Amino acid sequence: MSGAAIPVVLRVPREDRIGAIAYFARRNPRMIVGGALVVMWLFLAAFAPWVAPYDPIKVNVSDALIPPGGAHLLGTDDLGRDVLSRVIWGSRVSLSVGVISVSIGFFVGVSLGLAAGYLGGVFDLLAMRVIDALLAFPALVLAIAITSALGPQIQNAMIAIGIVAIPAYARLTRGQVLAVRAREFIVAARTIGCSPLRIVLRHIFPNVTNALVVQATLATAFAILAEAALSFLGLGPQPPYPSWGQDINYSQRYLANLKWWMSVGPGVAIFTAVFAFNFLGDALRDALDPRLRRSA
Amino acid sequence: MTRYILRRLLLMIPVAFLVTVGIFVLVRISPADPVLAFAGEERDPAALAAMREEFGLNQPIPVQYVAWITHLAHGDLGRSFQTKQRVLEAIAERLPATAELGLAALLISVTIALVVGIASAIKRNSFVDIAASSVTLAGISFPSFFLGIVLILLFAYVIPGRIFPPGGYTPIGQDLSDNLRHLVLPAVTLAAGSLAVNLRQVRSSLLDVFGHDYMRTARGKGLRERTVIARHALKNALIPVVTLIGIQIGAIIEGAFIIETIFFWPGIGRLAVTAIPSGDYPVVQGVVLVSAFSFMLTTLFVDLLYAWIDPRISYGRVTA
Repeated sequence: MSGAAIPVVLRVPREDRIGAIAYFARRNPRMIVGGALVVMWLFLAAFAPWVAPYDPIKVNVSDALIPPGGAHLLGTDDLGRDVLSRVIWGSRVSLSVGVISVSIGFFVGVSLGLAAGYLGGVFDLLAMRVIDALLAFPALVLAIAITSALGPQIQNAMIAIGIVAIPAYARLTRGQVLAVRAREFIVAARTIGCSPLRIVLRHIFPNVTNALVVQATLATAFAILAEAALSFLGLGPQPPYPSWGQDINYSQRYLANLKWWMSVGPGVAIFTAVFAFNFLGDALRDALDPRLRRSA
Repeated sequence: MTRYILRRLLLMIPVAFLVTVGIFVLVRISPADPVLAFAGEERDPAALAAMREEFGLNQPIPVQYVAWITHLAHGDLGRSFQTKQRVLEAIAERLPATAELGLAALLISVTIALVVGIASAIKRNSFVDIAASSVTLAGISFPSFFLGIVLILLFAYVIPGRIFPPGGYTPIGQDLSDNLRHLVLPAVTLAAGSLAVNLRQVRSSLLDVFGHDYMRTARGKGLRERTVIARHALKNALIPVVTLIGIQIGAIIEGAFIIETIFFWPGIGRLAVTAIPSGDYPVVQGVVLVSAFSFMLTTLFVDLLYAWIDPRISYGRVTA
């Protein structure tokens, strides 16, 4: 670590933020646990072809319904496919939906929030009514409606979950913009002739990032859960491609025969991935958002 | 208060308009052709064109929207492509099952949240508190459908005696005890999802109240601890808890889609889910519309209730 402090005043906030995180991580094991689990899933998703012991879609009837242990750590399904391999490959779907849909929500929501908060007036009024309309739907119901209209495909699930994520970012950003808009440094920036775009991007946006980082982490948890729910309802990737929600749905027909391992693998995978992002998000909130610190 | 209610109702109009536009657009952007779906085996172009004419599908989109919204205002949500049943009728038939499941889940979730939430706030950092916090944390991340499957596995198959059936439904009028036996697992699964959020809310709002001066005053004047909690703390802490019921309704509607699917519970969620693969859009559209409007109205009702209970809330200002 370059411990020597560089005496550039403009850099202080960033140094502060990293310092705060590092200090907090030492004192707060939640961040370590959440972070480690997130890194683990990202690693498994990125290196699935090398990590997974078997081909996730290759049918091998002679190995059907083997209980966990030995050559198949999490057992096999009714077509002899290795459950562990399917779980590992399934992480690609879940995490990519998580990351991409959160990016969609982030980009659209933050732009809308910045514009609405800074411009105000009619644009603000209209934009916020659209956000209200999005919030008028229970989140998952809206995602189901969008995906079923667009067709059951992974890209559509991403779009649907991304749209559902927009309101939270838009409201958060707009609120923060309204809070800082009247502050002296914005007035000063305007006085020295900064363009509105520059004011928004260079002076207002950096004040919102902490809250947005927290929101993005928690939204990823929601997105993974929502993707699993959509897949469970048959609105995600289609068979034979592995996806956690869809695999749980498929395993339901073997419950009566007590083939529990077909459900447990993907179920625990969803739980740990969602838990990881929730845990990390909570810890980040405590570290980055001083107002919320200690309030939980 | 009347002004506040009026203002809230007025604010709802543009939102309701946008919601209907949204649902209408969703169905129209869908790549599937409703005429082909409705026609079944019929492939004669002339017949299809006649059908298109009959449904008004060759009209401009805004005209179609006006026609649709006019029908909607008369309670006409169209007919199912598959069963040809009126959508409103199909929803009305299944609403009691969804309502029963939802109410049971609400009852379980709020009761446990209150009891455990109060216990863990009073005895902070005790075993109950730590256990409740851990369960809360896990509960938020636990997918409801996986919990449902674990419960089915345990109570219907692993534990001998088949305590609860793995799914299905018996109408209340037919056999009450059988109805309740079928209700337990789905209701517990649905309740678990919102329990975590509720518990957190009860606990944190109680802890918040504990810090106030009037609590110290109440204790200072020598009241018994029980009186302090019941008369001074709970009364104030439960105001935010009212909002819980509002938040619940969204969770319950969402849950209905998933939980009803797992447990073969014949409610509106399952109605929509079974309609999706066959492209039966009027049904999906109808259920989504009904869900969105019941969610909007309940949220409004809870906000009004909240303002009525808590005199500190000013009616004049509405925060968007």
